[in-house]
Amino acid sequence: MERILQRDSAALETLYDRYGRPVYSLVLRIAQHPSSAEEIVQDVFLQLWRSADRFQISRGPLEPWLFTMARNRALDFLRLKREKQRRREHSDSDILPSAVVRPDPEGDIDRSRRAEKIRALMTSLPEAQRRAIELAFFEGMSHSEIAAATGQALGTVKSWIRGGLLRLRESLAEAIS
Amino acid sequence: MNCEQLALLYEEYALGVLEGEERAELETHLARAGDKCIAGVAQARWVVAQLAHAAPDTQPPATLRGKIMDAAKPSADMARGVVPVTKPKASEPKAMFPAWAWVAAALLALMTGYTIRQINNQNEQLAQLRKQMKLATMQNQALQNQLDMDRMVAMVMMSPDSTSLKLMPKDKNMPMVHAYLHPHMGVAITADQMPSMPAARTLQLWFVPKSGKPLSVAIFHPDATGEIALVAPVNMPRNEIAALAVTEEPAGGSPQPTTAIAWMAQVN
Repeated sequence: MERILQRDSAALETLYDRYGRPVYSLVLRIAQHPSSAEEIVQDVFLQLWRSADRFQISRGPLEPWLFTMARNRALDFLRLKREKQRRREHSDSDILPSAVVRPDPEGDIDRSRRAEKIRALMTSLPEAQRRAIELAFFEGMSHSEIAAATGQALGTVKSWIRGGLLRLRESLAEAIS
Repeated sequence: MNCEQLALLYEEYALGVLEGEERAELETHLARAGDKCIAGVAQARWVVAQLAHAAPDTQPPATLRGKIMDAAKPSADMARGVVPVTKPKASEPKAMFPAWAWVAAALLALMTGYTIRQINNQNEQLAQLRKQMKLATMQNQALQNQLDMDRMVAMVMMSPDSTSLKLMPKDKNMPMVHAYLHPHMGVAITADQMPSMPAARTLQLWFVPKSGKPLSVAIFHPDATGEIALVAPVNMPRNEIAALAVTEEPAGGSPQPTTAIAWMAQVN
């Protein structure tokens, strides 16, 4: 980050090589639109480039900052798109290409392990609970919106999400400590 | 709810599912919370951010890297351009006077006013140190204020409840202004590479309602490096805001815009 603050473009390349793929994967999952995902990812990395000093001040690790920014941007796009769709009353015909899953030899080992843990955790959750968490994280829905979308009681949805997040925290306890 | 009870909601807050009273109570608490609570939310954000790994792993287009680097290039070049180049110093001319002349001059100086000069020098140094101390205290306070503001900006920027807006400049040569509209924490404004402004003028941010007159939100100046970072309270219900606009006004701001809109973003 020091090198980013000094406007060293090689440092930005390094960051992109490390985080570009997971950030793009996240944004594409939310936005469901390849060219928009590309635009959002570009915006996120340029935001990091421009606002590195503010990131320094927030004093957190870089990865969640990037993921949070990427998620917020992609959810903004999604909300805007839904609003436009609602107004125009026609559906978007863009089709998400099938995901290309490849090994990531350049990725950080800890990050890969964490990613495996998250995927394993999500797979281990009951279908309804996993769906509730996915609606919250990837669709940006609130408790009551998820309850309406799934037809479940609000209390049930809160309980699923709280339970799922608790398990997530427990599975990452080693990394947190 | 007390601090410990609210801590149980941190992950749900970071996920963005909290709403209504629970969310409002937590945000009110965080606005005046200590380091422990801020650290708790930061940790919750980290935990929730890990859910990003649940997305199907997808290779970004090969061209994306180049696009990002091309967009970052101008400011990298500019940064390289402002690095001061240290020129080698020209060698000092050697003294032209013989040694005895220096000795005589030094003795003369000592005899004519050594003591008086010493006292004067010490008084001057003391006054100078006092001035420097006062200046350092003021600078420290200003830095602390800036740090607090930047932390607030970072919190609003990172909140899942913030809506990101781009205020597009009417003048294509001006940079874009970014706004992050949060229902409780306020509206954060950031920009960089802004041109300097005369002291008699200021920038003023407005909420433009769906009906009625614009409402002043904040007045601000770019800092010495051309950056803007501030958070102002949201003084209009979110669903009534049609747009955010920035105008240039006389120092101290105006009750209503007196110049054409310089930056604007529609709020959906």
